[in-house]
Amino acid sequence: MKLIFSFLALGFMLSSCIEIIDDITMNADGSGTFKYNVNLSVSKVKINSVLALDSLEGKKIPSRDEIKGRINHFVLVLEQKNGISNVIVDSDMENYIIKLTCDFKSVRLLQDAITSTLEEELNENSNILNENLDWLTWTGDSFARSIPDFTIKKTKQLKPEEISLLKQGNYICISRFNRPVKECSNANAQIAKNNLAVMLKTNAYSLSQNLNLLENTIYLSALKP
Amino acid sequence: MKLICLFVALSLSISGVYSQNSEDFIPVDAVTVFSLNNISLLQKVSLDDLVKYEFMAELEQELFDGSTSGKSIKESGIDFDQKLNIFYGRGDEYEVAGFTFGIKDLNQLFTVFDDFDEQVSPLENVKYYSSYFNHLLVRGNVGILIRVDPLPRVIGEIADSIWYSRGNEYIPYDYYGDYYQAEEETISAEDEGYFQESWEEEEGPSEEEIFNVEDEIEEIEDGADYVYDEDIASKNYNELRDSVYATLQQEYLNNICVELIVNNKNLKKEDKELATLLTHTSEGVFYLDNSRNLTKSQRFGYLQSILPSLHDEIKELYTGNKIMGDFILNESSIEAKMTANYGEALGSIYTALNDSKFDKKVTKYIHKDNSAYFTYNVDLYQAYEKAYEIVMPMLRDEKNTSVTSSVLTIELLNAFVDKEALFDTYRGSMFGTFNGVKKVLVRRIDYTYDEDFNYTETEVEAEEDMPIFTLGFSTKRNDIPNIVLEQLAKMTSEFKNMGKYWRFDNAILNSVPLYIINRNGLFIMTNDEDLAVNHTDGFGSERISRKQVKLTKKTGFVYGQIDWSKTISNLPREIFTAEQNKLLNSMHGKAGMMTLTSSKTTTTTTHFNLKYDFNGTYDNPGQYILDLVNSLYIIMK
Repeated sequence: MKLIFSFLALGFMLSSCIEIIDDITMNADGSGTFKYNVNLSVSKVKINSVLALDSLEGKKIPSRDEIKGRINHFVLVLEQKNGISNVIVDSDMENYIIKLTCDFKSVRLLQDAITSTLEEELNENSNILNENLDWLTWTGDSFARSIPDFTIKKTKQLKPEEISLLKQGNYICISRFNRPVKECSNANAQIAKNNLAVMLKTNAYSLSQNLNLLENTIYLSALKP
Repeated sequence: MKLICLFVALSLSISGVYSQNSEDFIPVDAVTVFSLNNISLLQKVSLDDLVKYEFMAELEQELFDGSTSGKSIKESGIDFDQKLNIFYGRGDEYEVAGFTFGIKDLNQLFTVFDDFDEQVSPLENVKYYSSYFNHLLVRGNVGILIRVDPLPRVIGEIADSIWYSRGNEYIPYDYYGDYYQAEEETISAEDEGYFQESWEEEEGPSEEEIFNVEDEIEEIEDGADYVYDEDIASKNYNELRDSVYATLQQEYLNNICVELIVNNKNLKKEDKELATLLTHTSEGVFYLDNSRNLTKSQRFGYLQSILPSLHDEIKELYTGNKIMGDFILNESSIEAKMTANYGEALGSIYTALNDSKFDKKVTKYIHKDNSAYFTYNVDLYQAYEKAYEIVMPMLRDEKNTSVTSSVLTIELLNAFVDKEALFDTYRGSMFGTFNGVKKVLVRRIDYTYDEDFNYTETEVEAEEDMPIFTLGFSTKRNDIPNIVLEQLAKMTSEFKNMGKYWRFDNAILNSVPLYIINRNGLFIMTNDEDLAVNHTDGFGSERISRKQVKLTKKTGFVYGQIDWSKTISNLPREIFTAEQNKLLNSMHGKAGMMTLTSSKTTTTTTHFNLKYDFNGTYDNPGQYILDLVNSLYIIMK
């Protein structure tokens, strides 16, 4: 994952566009499917030029095989986590698009799995990751989303010049349900025509400046008795 | 009489001390030296600008603390009647860098060097100050600012030996992080099968050797003026490395100072050619001892232990290989006139290599609006024959199986290969151009969302900035590359014969096509679609002017020119190394034309001339000198 982060960092460093789609489908019983797409295809010329180097600004540049190897390792670790199944990663190293999909039994188990996998992969001091693990909350009638604390901490570590490079990046957060959405708390959120999905789109730079931009509680219509 | 003799001896010794100038304190370890004579030109340069130069990197930490704010060199207490000598050297165990200068007003000097604290000087008649990693020695009216850095290899060897000898565990190196993660990630040697195996397989240092290293460190610490930590046994790995670093740094610094001041041994005294160079009255001089650069390289050290006689012969071959020259300030330009000196054996190879006729055809492919271009004319066939004549006897004498086997291979290839066909295909003469940045079309993936936020991937065309390069070489045998190109076209559909040129899709950065023009006695590779599609026989009236062609033609084996204002902001920084980027940064914001020419090569020398025609006003010529010194410092370091 550290390699994946290095890989993503390359995207940021190269004043490039990065598009992230964070897509969660919730079932009525609290289980669901998590999809996470990272699209760096707009910057592929620059990424290719960087990958041709051994190092950049004192950091070793991973090879394509190393990136693939670490992604595969990430999948191996994630699929062993409690409550996680059907982990699939599709990495298109020609266009630099990585798609992760997995099923989860509950959002609690999904968050635990992501956090512990990151802990293992990043070798981070555990107190960095363990502070607030509730960035997803499912009550049966509502679904609340925010930004995990460790992402906030990582963002704060970015240098000003790195933050300004995020201006062209997009973060798209989609939540899908099997019953209609009644309302949502974030005024910027859009509800799909079929009323079964909510999308919140923000610019990566704006998000780095205001991490509350993705906070959203989605209220669902009542279940029929 | 005794008293008179004593008085005379004392007077001589004192006058000896105080008659020495800044150039008499350049350490013998220095491999590169820049000596500025006319430093009064620098008086207008602000200290803030000065410390931004790479050769001032050692002082950066000290001088960026605000103490230099708004001050110029004039106010720094430096004596402008003495030379400013910048030096750098890398030995087997450490790097040394710094500069020596005259001091007019010590108190004023310390308004700039205000973080330096006076220390007890271990040397007589020398004041000693230090700040962080920098050390300032003041003897009479000369200041020696010096920084010594032990090489990471040396620090690592000693720190590892001590670490393991204490029964500590293996420390995995965090390849993608910044530093060792010694505390959190130690892996038990028992638990780590691989490590255990490799430890058993490789014969590590004996217990006696390990303890000898530790004793040596303790001896160094005992002998040094500083004891960094008494409780060395309780240190973690990083702390241990830091202690080894600090101890070695102090030890090496002491050795250099004793050699320089007590033993009165300096580079000017040791190298007569440098001594002569320092008598020149140009604005400045520079010196690079390439033979020492070579012999101090790690690969050469390896050769010394494995093939000692070959090592000696190659060392002999490179003896006297020095580059020396002058900086000359003209009304609107500055020149670096350099002379590369070498021995006759090496010179005969260079002479054969550079004895080549300029191929005028290449100028047809250099656009008049280019940002930068170079031509390089050599004759590899002649150089091969000469090198074969000189180097092969050395190799034949070597009694080593792998060398003998290489000799056999070379001799057989020499006998069987059609050298004429080989060198007619690639004789070595080449050219390259940089034509700025153009928009090129690349494919990217976009996501499109429907009204229910389901998304699909769509491939779209997008424009991206791409630097336009052309690289080509002269050939007498276009038919031979053609054989290769035709076969490549059969192997992949991305490689296509377009008639007058070849197109290889996605060849550059897996995104844009590479075009190959194989005609008119040239083999050219470019990503310039306009050149390939519309100008396969050259740019015609859009080529460089006749005057420019003449200039390019009449030089020796190399000609290069860069239009800084067109080039500097367009170069893709990602493709350059950190060192090359430092050089580019140093030229950022500069305008004007820089040209490199060379003379005809003789068996002992080749002359080069690097000229920087600057645009703009002539109000601060010192800045231009420093720009050029800085560029050369980075190149030669």
